[in-house]
Amino acid sequence: MNKNDLVMTILKGRTLIVLALLVLFFSLASESFFTGSSLLSISKHVALYGILGIGMTYVLVTGGIDLSVGSIAGLAGMVSGLLINKGLTLFGQTIYFSVPTIVIIAMLIGMLIGLINGLVITKFAVAPFIATLGMMYVARGLANLTSNGATFPNLVGKEALGNTGFEIFGRDIAGFPVAVIILIIIAVLAFIVLRKTPFGWHILAIGGNNRAARLSGVRVDHDTVLVYMFSGVCSAVVGIIATSQLVASHPMTGNTWEMNAIAAAVLGGTSLMGGVGTIVGTVIGAFIIGVITDGMVMCGVSEFWQMIIKGLVIVLAVIIDQYQRNLQARMALQARNANK
Amino acid sequence: MKVSKFCAAVAMVCACGMFASSAGAADAPKRLTGGGSNIIYVITPSHSNPFFKTEAEVASQTARDLGYDVKMVSHDDSPVKQAELFETAISDKAAAIVCDNAGADATLAAVKRAYDNNIPTFLIDREINEQGIAIAQIVANNYQGAKGAAEVFVEAMEEEGEYAELYGLDSDTNAKTRSTAFHEVIDQYPNMKRVAVQTANWDQNLAYSKMETILQTNPNLKGVISGNDNMAVGAAAAIKAAGKGPLKIIAVDGSNDARDEILGGTMTATAMQPAAAIAKVAVEQADKYLKTGSTGQPEKQLMDCVIITKDNAKKLNNFALSE
Repeated sequence: MNKNDLVMTILKGRTLIVLALLVLFFSLASESFFTGSSLLSISKHVALYGILGIGMTYVLVTGGIDLSVGSIAGLAGMVSGLLINKGLTLFGQTIYFSVPTIVIIAMLIGMLIGLINGLVITKFAVAPFIATLGMMYVARGLANLTSNGATFPNLVGKEALGNTGFEIFGRDIAGFPVAVIILIIIAVLAFIVLRKTPFGWHILAIGGNNRAARLSGVRVDHDTVLVYMFSGVCSAVVGIIATSQLVASHPMTGNTWEMNAIAAAVLGGTSLMGGVGTIVGTVIGAFIIGVITDGMVMCGVSEFWQMIIKGLVIVLAVIIDQYQRNLQARMALQARNANK
Repeated sequence: MKVSKFCAAVAMVCACGMFASSAGAADAPKRLTGGGSNIIYVITPSHSNPFFKTEAEVASQTARDLGYDVKMVSHDDSPVKQAELFETAISDKAAAIVCDNAGADATLAAVKRAYDNNIPTFLIDREINEQGIAIAQIVANNYQGAKGAAEVFVEAMEEEGEYAELYGLDSDTNAKTRSTAFHEVIDQYPNMKRVAVQTANWDQNLAYSKMETILQTNPNLKGVISGNDNMAVGAAAAIKAAGKGPLKIIAVDGSNDARDEILGGTMTATAMQPAAAIAKVAVEQADKYLKTGSTGQPEKQLMDCVIITKDNAKKLNNFALSE
């Protein structure tokens, strides 16, 4: 193993190494950091960014971006709140849905918004940044409209209406947060689809080289639309979890979360140019953000320093990422020359 | 692989969650003894607003003087971030939490969680819509303050003329309370006409741009009533930029910025919320509660605002009046 190989191995495992170092650092800095309850609470916070980040990874892998995820989360939360507290009034009749139905409706709304994003991007050739920027405002506006800017309080439902139990997504099952369970399930599914199915290879190909993918028979538009729909559903799920944790839905829920989702994906090695990205990386990236945020709070670091450190970590991650890519290219070239 | 499969899987997960039982609600009032450590968490909105900075710093200093370790954090007015900070405080085994909350309804779950984990919460500046889960809710008497400011406004306007209203964040109870109090006084005078009302989310920049627009359509504007100082200062700047003479502006808060505007003649009055006093009292009550099991006070406590005009503005510094 020569020097380059060693550097390469370290670089490839860098996100895990960074995470381990961070955990070690904060454990030394604050004695209550490395405890079961504290780690569970961190993973609960990570779940929100992690799920958004997974949806975002799919989008980034195709070479797109989805800025509307935070707003979709807010809208999904508000729709859930509306349906639980006020029901749906049609033709003078008010219908109340059961919680599973409400969850499905909220996810369908997320999916629908993703569908619109995808169609605007593929059919009207609008740049993803612009299309989803527009949707970010539209969805946030809709979220505020559901209540005229107010909060839907006390979302416990009523026994008589058969819509109790919404708090479950913010609770623990056998000491394990439901949010984390959902994160794990979505991560496993997303991992399998991206790595082991033709659909996953296709979206990697779309981001890698759009034209080549199209020429080799990948249904580029169709697959791109599906990716935005997936991101929309992930966002809706996050909105449901966040709302359930608060037992109240607030129209500004999810404001600026798209940035955390992008940061998680980028920290995990996903390229904004498309074609490169892993689900495991994104989940680790989300953990890095979560550990830094919660760890700094426990150490009593001021909020302004927290912002600076978070920002530096993100940019540093990309710099290392670029270095790895250059090194990889150089090593590949050397190997080819050696074989000649 | 179709999207429907993702969704089906996600839906299944959610459906499974349905069957799990939900945990029980909080019991009858019990004595909370704290999480075990000597740490007091001071959770407020962003320190970039001087009001919250003062509040956080006074609370922290008071707690340190009483021998506690302090962690000063900000929820940036996001209820989700606030809930996360409460959880962090719980894992950190905090002795008590002093919090200026991010929403009267959206905060309930977090406070209840602290309660269930034996950590007493002391709310300052803003109330929540439930009693019995926080140990104390100490707020400024916004109603009294806004009424006092409105009386000065009516006098300055000579009981007539057009005025505009800048309204705070819609979801915030204080926005409503202050506006109601303003109007209880002003609406008694039939010659005073509100010609515009805009929400500016407590925000200075937003108030500036909204005020510019209001001035465009209302050239005869004589005064502005504003939900807080930030918006009033923004409005005053817009009025200056538009080349209008100083209008009569009142607000509620009592910041140093507003003080300077009042001294400079561009603002008429503000009602100072005793932020420093509230923060101090809250920490002292937390200390007393941890030691004796009672604050000796009812849960809901009001502290009166002080009306600041040209006469006493000089004495105002960081939400306290010097003697």
